[in-house]
Amino acid sequence: MNRPCPEMQDKVADYVLGALDAEQTEALQKHLSGCEACRQYARSLQEQGQSLVALGRRLDADMEARRDRVVEALQEVAPVATNTRPFPSGGIGILPMIHGQDAHATRSFLKMGIAAVLVLGAGVVVGRATAPRPVDVEQLRADLQASLVASLKPAVQESVSAEVDRRLESGLAAGAASLRDKLAEQLRGDLQVFVTQFTAGSEQRLEKRFAEFVQLIEQARLKDRLHVVRALEQMEQNRHRDRTQIQTSLAALVEKKPAAIQH
Amino acid sequence: MEERSDKELAWASQQGDRTAYTVLVQRHYKSVFLVGLGVLGNVHDAEDVAQDTLIKGFEHLRQLREGSQFGGWIVTIARNLSINLLRKRKQELVCDAHPTSDEPAESGYEDLQQAVARLPGELRLPLVMYYFDGQDVKKVAEKLAISTSGVYQKLRTAIKELHEVLTAQGDTP
Repeated sequence: MNRPCPEMQDKVADYVLGALDAEQTEALQKHLSGCEACRQYARSLQEQGQSLVALGRRLDADMEARRDRVVEALQEVAPVATNTRPFPSGGIGILPMIHGQDAHATRSFLKMGIAAVLVLGAGVVVGRATAPRPVDVEQLRADLQASLVASLKPAVQESVSAEVDRRLESGLAAGAASLRDKLAEQLRGDLQVFVTQFTAGSEQRLEKRFAEFVQLIEQARLKDRLHVVRALEQMEQNRHRDRTQIQTSLAALVEKKPAAIQH
Repeated sequence: MEERSDKELAWASQQGDRTAYTVLVQRHYKSVFLVGLGVLGNVHDAEDVAQDTLIKGFEHLRQLREGSQFGGWIVTIARNLSINLLRKRKQELVCDAHPTSDEPAESGYEDLQQAVARLPGELRLPLVMYYFDGQDVKKVAEKLAISTSGVYQKLRTAIKELHEVLTAQGDTP
């Protein structure tokens, strides 16, 4: 058989597997129509696939007998209690932990492990990349001294700080009672001042608000009076006008029908 | 009679109902066996692994909290057991200069079966699931937790390698 075109072998395999879309299939078929070696390769892969399916069926034929043997073996087996996980030595865990907290814990643990490995690996890489070149003795001594000072300084500072804290605590403990009384007295005094100021301020504010309120009432009363006066004036005007109209009408009536009225 | 779901059967099995577990075995044996065959490339070992898997599944069924996932759970056990056995076999091969001869193959398919057995495990498993078990690419991808394009890539490589081997033997299908 002639060798198929090397650049087309993947395409032919994908074609046999049905992995190509319509456009790719059309392009490949066009190539196959003109290339005997690729056509033969495609046919051979298809036949191979059919043989694999047939082999699968052949294996399938004995499946029932195999299954029965398992069922038979199961009769001798008793289920064991929960929470027992066999992990054979030298092998991977057999039972999958696919639910709930176990799976979550495993995933978290794996993630942490991976992160730790990455961090350590990065540290090693950085360390190697930045490793110091050989230096002279004086330089080394100076570096060492600086390093020692740098490393001891925080410890000394911490020690001094701890001692200061300890002394402060003991001093505070001794004078705690008198300090408490002083603080209480100070607090009482402050509260009194505050109450006095607050009360005085409140009275002033109250008087001011009351005066404003009285003023508002007076304004409202004045406005009401004005309205009443205007209304009375209006009523008087209306009364006067009505009277005039009635007088005019009566006069007109008398003039128009004197005879009838006289009778 | 209506077929009982995996969830119902698993629950009944967890209560000690062996009949229910037998139904689960009948339903999932093939997948379990083929995973063993896919990883190990050997029918005899695959049978042993399938039996061990289903017995271990019964023994530890109470650890399965969601019965509907029995199929995936038992296949994962089969895969883990197969990988362990494969490692053991490799160690034996290193120690033993004269390994035992291959098992008898299916008549008429000897070359093909041996060629499949010689494929790398990561190619053989999807090939077995796709051709022997008739699973589509999407399902294979789900079970192997890889992408469909990843499955296509493995299948493509597998069938090309198989073809190479069979052509070299002068036994093209």
